[in-house]
Amino acid sequence: MMKKAVPYLIAAVCLAVMVWAVSFGTLPEADFTFCNGDEIKTVDPAIVTGQPEGRIVGALFEGLCRWHPKTLKPIPGMAQSWDISDDELTYTFDIRRGALWSDATPVTAHDFAWSFRRFLHPATASEYAYEMWYVVGAQKYSSGKVMIGDPVEIELKEKPPGALPYAAGITLRGELLDIKHKKVALPNEPVYVVKVDGRQRQFQKGATEAGTEDYQWLIYDFRSVGIRALDDRTLRIRLRHPVPYFLNLMGFYPMSPVNRRCVETHGYPVWTKPENIVCNGPFRLKFRRIRDRIRLVKSTTYWNRDNVRLKVVDALAVKSNTTTLNLYLTGQADWISTVPTEIVPDLMRREQADFNPAPFLAVYYYIINTTKRPLDDVRVRRALALSIDKRQIVEKVTRAGQTPARSLVPPEVSKYVDYVPAQCGRYNVEEARRLLAEAGYPGGRGCPKIEILYNTSEAHRAIAELIQSQWKRALGIDVRLRNQEWAAYLSARRQKKYQIARAGWIGDYVDPNTFLDMFVSDGPQNQTGWGNPRYDKLVEAAQREKDASKRMQYFHQAEQILMDQLPIIPIYFYVSTSMIRPYVKGFYPNIQDVHPLWAIWIDREQKARIFKEEGL
Amino acid sequence: MIAFILKRLVWMAITLWVVFTVSFFLMRSVPGGPLDQERTLDPEIKANLEKRYHLDEPLWKQYGRELGNTLRLDLGYSFRLADFRVNEIIAQGFPISASLGIVALFFALSLGLTAGIISAARRQTVVDVALMLAATIGIALPNFVIAGIMIILFVFLLPVFPAAGWGTLGHLVLPGFCLGAPYAAYIARLMRTGMLEVLSQDYIRTAYAKGLSTRAVVLRHALKNALLPVVSFLGPAIAGILTGSLVVEQIFAIPGLGVHFIQAATQRDYTLAMGLVLLYTALLYTMNLLVDISYAYLDPRVELE
Amino acid sequence: MSTATDNQPDLQRYAALLDEARAIKGVSLGQDAWRRLRRNRAAMLSLWFLVVLGLLAVLTPLLPLQPPRQVDTSRQFAAPVGWPLMQQTLQLPGGNDHLQQDPLAAGFGDLGFLSGAMLRARVALFGKWSIASLCGTDKLGRDVLSRLFWGARISLAVGLVATLVSLVIGVSYGTISGYLGGRTDNLMMRIVDVMYSIPFIFVVIFLITILSAEGIKEPLEERYGINRIVIFFFVVGAIYWLTMARVVRGQVISLKHEQFVEAARTIGASRMRIIFMHLVPNLLSVVIVYLTLTIPRVMLFEAFLSFLGLGVEPPDVSWGLLANEGVQAITPVRIYWWLVVFPGLALGLTLLALNFLGDGLRDALDPRMKNR
Repeated sequence: MMKKAVPYLIAAVCLAVMVWAVSFGTLPEADFTFCNGDEIKTVDPAIVTGQPEGRIVGALFEGLCRWHPKTLKPIPGMAQSWDISDDELTYTFDIRRGALWSDATPVTAHDFAWSFRRFLHPATASEYAYEMWYVVGAQKYSSGKVMIGDPVEIELKEKPPGALPYAAGITLRGELLDIKHKKVALPNEPVYVVKVDGRQRQFQKGATEAGTEDYQWLIYDFRSVGIRALDDRTLRIRLRHPVPYFLNLMGFYPMSPVNRRCVETHGYPVWTKPENIVCNGPFRLKFRRIRDRIRLVKSTTYWNRDNVRLKVVDALAVKSNTTTLNLYLTGQADWISTVPTEIVPDLMRREQADFNPAPFLAVYYYIINTTKRPLDDVRVRRALALSIDKRQIVEKVTRAGQTPARSLVPPEVSKYVDYVPAQCGRYNVEEARRLLAEAGYPGGRGCPKIEILYNTSEAHRAIAELIQSQWKRALGIDVRLRNQEWAAYLSARRQKKYQIARAGWIGDYVDPNTFLDMFVSDGPQNQTGWGNPRYDKLVEAAQREKDASKRMQYFHQAEQILMDQLPIIPIYFYVSTSMIRPYVKGFYPNIQDVHPLWAIWIDREQKARIFKEEGL
Repeated sequence: MIAFILKRLVWMAITLWVVFTVSFFLMRSVPGGPLDQERTLDPEIKANLEKRYHLDEPLWKQYGRELGNTLRLDLGYSFRLADFRVNEIIAQGFPISASLGIVALFFALSLGLTAGIISAARRQTVVDVALMLAATIGIALPNFVIAGIMIILFVFLLPVFPAAGWGTLGHLVLPGFCLGAPYAAYIARLMRTGMLEVLSQDYIRTAYAKGLSTRAVVLRHALKNALLPVVSFLGPAIAGILTGSLVVEQIFAIPGLGVHFIQAATQRDYTLAMGLVLLYTALLYTMNLLVDISYAYLDPRVELE
Repeated sequence: MSTATDNQPDLQRYAALLDEARAIKGVSLGQDAWRRLRRNRAAMLSLWFLVVLGLLAVLTPLLPLQPPRQVDTSRQFAAPVGWPLMQQTLQLPGGNDHLQQDPLAAGFGDLGFLSGAMLRARVALFGKWSIASLCGTDKLGRDVLSRLFWGARISLAVGLVATLVSLVIGVSYGTISGYLGGRTDNLMMRIVDVMYSIPFIFVVIFLITILSAEGIKEPLEERYGINRIVIFFFVVGAIYWLTMARVVRGQVISLKHEQFVEAARTIGASRMRIIFMHLVPNLLSVVIVYLTLTIPRVMLFEAFLSFLGLGVEPPDVSWGLLANEGVQAITPVRIYWWLVVFPGLALGLTLLALNFLGDGLRDALDPRMKNR
């Protein structure tokens, strides 16, 4: 009897599993579906990096400012207005009346102060923290390092009574008097002597002895950082030097506020779960299916909800470009941001004309390790740069309307700021040969072998191969190619275990600074071993300069040095490769490829018509 | 019986431990940790991040911590999908992979058994040759090629199924078929051989002699015994379907465990990759155990040792 | 019969028997099997196909094919052309432009001594003539036909070598286990059982991603000359020996009580000598069958890894890699069918032939296994 039932039982179980697994797929359709690249890392604004994450965070949260979808100019967001002092060092934001969290509590200036503090705190380990280091004391605070004489805050392990589960411990403030190193008992942990409320107290990590106290964090006092909520509606931020794009930064997604109560109740990352998250943006998180989709629904508490026209949005996590295109062409996605490069010419010829590459604030370039022979010779570098036929690269390999690059900063920025990039020389084989001969390698004879490093990708390989053959033909030098997986490639770059390496950079904001401050002598992104004191000075002077035209002049001069010395060879400027259905309205091409969802809407009639025409 | 199962479970624990240890040390020996980003992290920020994931501790300490957590079935947070615990990712991906696997197994068994039986019953006819040729082709083509051809045929030329994604029954058909096809082919061949052997035995002749129709003889008398080789193939087949899903899930953008594993391995998401390897080992072990038990159930001559 | 010959003299009878025996030609197992195999038409066809394929693969540098690595961006995704069959397109070194890189090295990569010699012979034989792109070109304008041939070399080599590695491990392990018997046998087989339950593909992916990571890959390659293909050989060998070990062990157990083993033991042969000199040769039939059935599996596995980007590394090519490139290019905008069909056909036909040959060999070598 039992034995007879077994096969039926197994069949029933299988059927049940199948029905269950399929059942959670029956969803109401979204108004707008787009492919968001790879699965995002997190929706916590303080931790995210990357475009896909930015799109989601930008929909869920709103910072002090927003970016205008067409011009990218900062427009009021959570702050309804602001005051800038005459020296451009103090910004006073007036928080919008009626700005609400999704739990219907008001958004206050204190929320921002607390969020910025969390963003900068060493425990958060935010990768974008450096974007806030323009603020007085911010770098010191987020580094976690203290010096004698500093005002410090000490977070103890015990929590104040009645605190939420993930709230910070009791925080004491005082002046750091001394840092001592004991020989006995925890010799690696320094003892900090701090004057708290007129009394000297000693703190040591993991302390057990009498006279010293254990602590969680001992860092620079946040009260000395230039961020302060004057009252519920007024937030004041003080900067170290004028930053013309500071308001733009305040619209950048990592600067979004988070809800203190929510974060302290659940802790990271549990607070980001759809059932817990409290946000202040135009959309709310409905659910996340890993590597499938993120569903967003319109927020009912957003201050500008009347102007948000999408109700349900799906962000698909699809990695393969081919699959992405298939989804678009079968009507399952309305907007895709990448296409397979092989068929770009075919896409350009489509009669629907829905593939329109637009200039993008990003540059593809080669970095040169200037510590290695023969690349330490500027004439060799110039010869290499002059003998790359960049036009052939964009016409034969990338083929999506990219433009050859003769500067680091994309010239398109001139549409947004008053900057004209300094340029390096045009393609000139004769001159290149002459320079190489001058450097002692006529016709490439005696020139040590050069190697190009790139991260594994067909496109990078094709470009490297083309450059390899161009150099061989023009200069007669032998070039080897080496490809590495992403992580390995990065560490090789960092440790300068390369000669020439492929690189790319996407600007964080529309200002030459985002490109040019990479190559200051000790900059963390400068992996070329190149340094030029005059360049450093010019970049720093530009950063401190209030006068816009002078500032741009400094940048121009700095870039001129860069293009003269060529520790990098710019190759081409990227284009954004979006495909967007024509019935999607409120979508404007712009240089940062940012398309806020609150501005987008769907023309349903047109959609129905187009789908009918295409038989979908 | 119980002793047998217990013994196997002990071996499973040992296997899991070995797999855990080997993969732990392999993963940690790779330069370029999971925190590598294109932007060079400020050393201070990087130190903070490492502290958060305990990467700053000595290796043996990390090992002890991980082992302890794993024993408590807490696989920790994923490195790349920082909002999720590995357990949550598995909980989301497993039903998807499981139902895809079940659909594939369904295709494999239904197509394979039918083809095998027909082929055996119509031995040495055109039908037989055609079916066996199809089966051999099914074995000979990699499933991503089959998938490519299926997409051309049933998505673009004849739009009946969606191109990719997950959600409805329609999303299941193509990937399920592509995943199951090679196993259907194997099963068809096994079934045919098993059937031919059984059909030549005395008790079948007796059955014919009783005057039963071919259909009754084949289905009622021969089938059960002919199934034995198929059942013993189920263990490897399930293993193959599990691993085959790596490719199929990738092609059809199905958010199952296979995709998670490939991503985890290439992005050095230590915790997730480890969790998935352990899960697959346990799964495979259990499947083999079940197959052994069911084999004993089907064939009274087999005794579990 | 004995009653009829009762009255004949013994001597005469023995002589007659001896003559009779002489007249009978001994038929060895091998000859017998060969005879049976020859009657199997599908298997023979497969065998010829494989022989021709193998020869072509070995002689590829000698054939008038276009350079497999020559990128020509003006011919991206060119459809197959059949006419004119031969063109004078091969670029030869020399000429007055001393700056020009050797086009042969660029187009064919660094060849070994033998292949290099064959390539020179080809240049001497055919000059600039090479076959047109009968199978079209790929996204970088490379000739698919030529890539198929060069891919065959790698795919077949991968299949053969990896299988041989697994064979050596499996046969040694199985024979030792079976011959020694008792507790050792028990333990060794238990280990095999345990290893059956490890999801090896995952471990392999793991291993390959780790071993191809920077800092591990470089020293391996530079110091020991170990690249991904070599790793692949060993890893695959390490997986596929399990079944072989089991089969061989069973065979050895049934063989070890045969008289010839006893005989060897009585004349004082050592254990290892008995195992490797007397037992292993008798396993030949099992081994050959296993070989033909494992090669296709290994080749499929290589294709699988190539799909995941973990197989053969460009600029080397294998069929799996080619098929994967084809599948990647499938979009509704334009279907480059030749990129899928030809590699798929090459892979499919070869595996089909190997399968048929394997089945045929099994039937031929072991009549009891007929129809299995």
